[in-house]
Amino acid sequence: MRRMLAVLSILGLALPIAAPALAQQGTLEKIGQSGVLTIGTRTASPPFAFVNKQNEWVGFSIDLVEQAVKPAIERKLGKPITIEKKESTPPTRIPLLSSNAVDLIAGTMTDTRARRESVDFSLTFFVTGAQFLVKKNSPIKGIESIAGRRVAAQQGSTNAKLIRERVPTARLQEFPDQPAAFQALAQGQVDAYTNDGIQLYGLRAKAPRPDDWKVVGDFFSYEPYGMAMRKNDSDFRHAVNVGLMEAIESGKYFELYDKWFGPNGETPYPLTPENKRFLIMQVVPK
Amino acid sequence: MLDLSVIVNNFAFLVVQGLLGLGGFTGGTLRLAIPAIVLGFVLGIFIGIARLARAWWISLPATLYVEFFRGVPLVMVIFWIWFIIPQLLRRPIPEYGVALTAFVVFEAAYFGEIVRAGIQSVPRGQVEAATALGLTRAQSMRFVVLPQAIRNMVPSLVTQMIVLFKDTSLASIIGYVDLTKAAQIVNNREIRPFELYLFIAVVYFVFTYSMSRIAARFERRLA
Amino acid sequence: MHYDFHWQVLWSGQSGRWLLQGLGTTLAISSLAWLLAVGLGILSGALRTVPWKALRAVAAFYVEFFRNVPLLVWMFFWYFGVPPLLPEAAREWLFDHGAEFWAGMFALGVYHGARMSEVIRSGIQSIPKTQFEAAVAMGLTTFQAYRLVILPIALRLIVPPATSESLNLLKNSSVALTISVAELTFQTRQIETYTARAIEALTAGTVIYLVLCVGIATIMARVERRFAIPGLIARGG
Repeated sequence: MRRMLAVLSILGLALPIAAPALAQQGTLEKIGQSGVLTIGTRTASPPFAFVNKQNEWVGFSIDLVEQAVKPAIERKLGKPITIEKKESTPPTRIPLLSSNAVDLIAGTMTDTRARRESVDFSLTFFVTGAQFLVKKNSPIKGIESIAGRRVAAQQGSTNAKLIRERVPTARLQEFPDQPAAFQALAQGQVDAYTNDGIQLYGLRAKAPRPDDWKVVGDFFSYEPYGMAMRKNDSDFRHAVNVGLMEAIESGKYFELYDKWFGPNGETPYPLTPENKRFLIMQVVPK
Repeated sequence: MLDLSVIVNNFAFLVVQGLLGLGGFTGGTLRLAIPAIVLGFVLGIFIGIARLARAWWISLPATLYVEFFRGVPLVMVIFWIWFIIPQLLRRPIPEYGVALTAFVVFEAAYFGEIVRAGIQSVPRGQVEAATALGLTRAQSMRFVVLPQAIRNMVPSLVTQMIVLFKDTSLASIIGYVDLTKAAQIVNNREIRPFELYLFIAVVYFVFTYSMSRIAARFERRLA
Repeated sequence: MHYDFHWQVLWSGQSGRWLLQGLGTTLAISSLAWLLAVGLGILSGALRTVPWKALRAVAAFYVEFFRNVPLLVWMFFWYFGVPPLLPEAAREWLFDHGAEFWAGMFALGVYHGARMSEVIRSGIQSIPKTQFEAAVAMGLTTFQAYRLVILPIALRLIVPPATSESLNLLKNSSVALTISVAELTFQTRQIETYTARAIEALTAGTVIYLVLCVGIATIMARVERRFAIPGLIARGG
């Protein structure tokens, strides 16, 4: 009893201070020993990572890990590995990496300078920006017309942060998940819902009557998605980047893009020539 | 307006995966709730009795334990166990282990308080009478105080068990696919919050209401 | 594991102000909800022990229905389910005046009222029936017996479990973040978003809740001792 209490009180507050003392092991070494690459991803961010109608965990980001990153790591280690998926959400993904519970975050995480102080990112694998979803007849046209309006956003998103900074008079309400925000929009609790454009198109496509909704406004933020990993592990980071670069070079990336965002994909979203050029330019020479 | 096809189509996922925990994801409300209730209560009895002990080196740690865990939200306890135990043991812990540990240590503090209040609700004269009859302290606890205390604590105890049962939904934050999480996963895909939350509310109600009915019968028998 | 701690994120920039705002919202929503819960709890808890069957049934229905369904579901019910039933003008007014706060407050208060009621009922029932019979024999009416004898004793017996329950309410107010109430837990997540310092933000949240709850528990323990009736309560075996 007393011993347990001692352990528990240590757990409570003292340990986070002692924790950094533990030795660091390279991620590639860890994967080589266990034969498992553990990724943290989302369960409800279609088409990047979600549970489909057959209740399988799939998506564009997951495909990229399985078909681009995994082969590169296998080649580097010279042995086959398996992939294990765990759920990570905005509040948990960085601690999950730090505590070694996962090795790579592959979902819809935006690469930002603040986050780069805690984790490292792979090259950018998708580019989007924030827009608004509104009712068909709404007067809201974009970020210029939201002053004084009630605007819903996803909690912890970069979009909410930007609205707060650029239009402080907008009345921001943050919801932890997309269905709650959408419900608030549908019932009139809020006048607009802001999220990354790609996610709004996905939401609109799934709504009972898609024509009742429109996505408006220019991108008012820049959201480059990257895969996050523990800081200062350049061997692992390089292996991940080589996998992504090879996929872009070989056309595998665009095949996968078409599978998820093409005309028959989960969320049709054509790749702009500009974005395609950006992806290709990230591939450095061999 | 109410479209129940979303429930019918996902019934297997919600019940088999979410409630029972059989399927491709780690999860299951019952698989977590039942051991958590049993172990939490057992630990709670010890803590409750320890809090009333005369020796300070028994009662003080128990008091600290109770005050600490009653003072922090369960979500925080789950987070801490999730991030810190792996560092102590130097290897990752499966989500199930994290969730079960968090619920047992957290709920034991509450069960401990109920046990203490139950014991204290027994009039002092009863203990004095037992002592006068020549019973030892352990005997008077065992034969006089506890039987009456248990009767007094049944309502609060059942309330707490119901709370714990529903609190297991918090395990979803570490990616444990319980009933609530399963409903959220389906909801994110289908955007049918009313039907889905109504359905899981009914499922929770069936379990918790039967718990309170069984307790009511038990209470009448003891009365 | 390697994690560099940057505790200064908690007071640099806007973090400190957010934590204070979150704390303010948590205290506001919890205290209003607590008043509602105690009112409903005393009313229904007492009603469940009265000799009239119809009143007992109403109170029992309230308690069973509300405490057996998860709070999260009640949050959605009050925020999404109730407003469409209101007239257009009232609804617009509510949406313009922090509907999420009031919905969260009702959800919290009504839900915990049902649980408070069980605490009060078990307090009343732990009083020997003879107390009530003695009061009636002395010529008190049922109402007077409750007001002058049963409730004063029951209130003392229920202080420890009622304190527990009140602390539960305080901590459960964090569930209101699901309907966009910007309370303490919400703000700790906010800090995480802006600074990417999850562990520091979580620690700040834990410590604030801990200080609040331990503070309340200490005050209540003092109250409990002050109002204890000598000889009524057994101090352990």
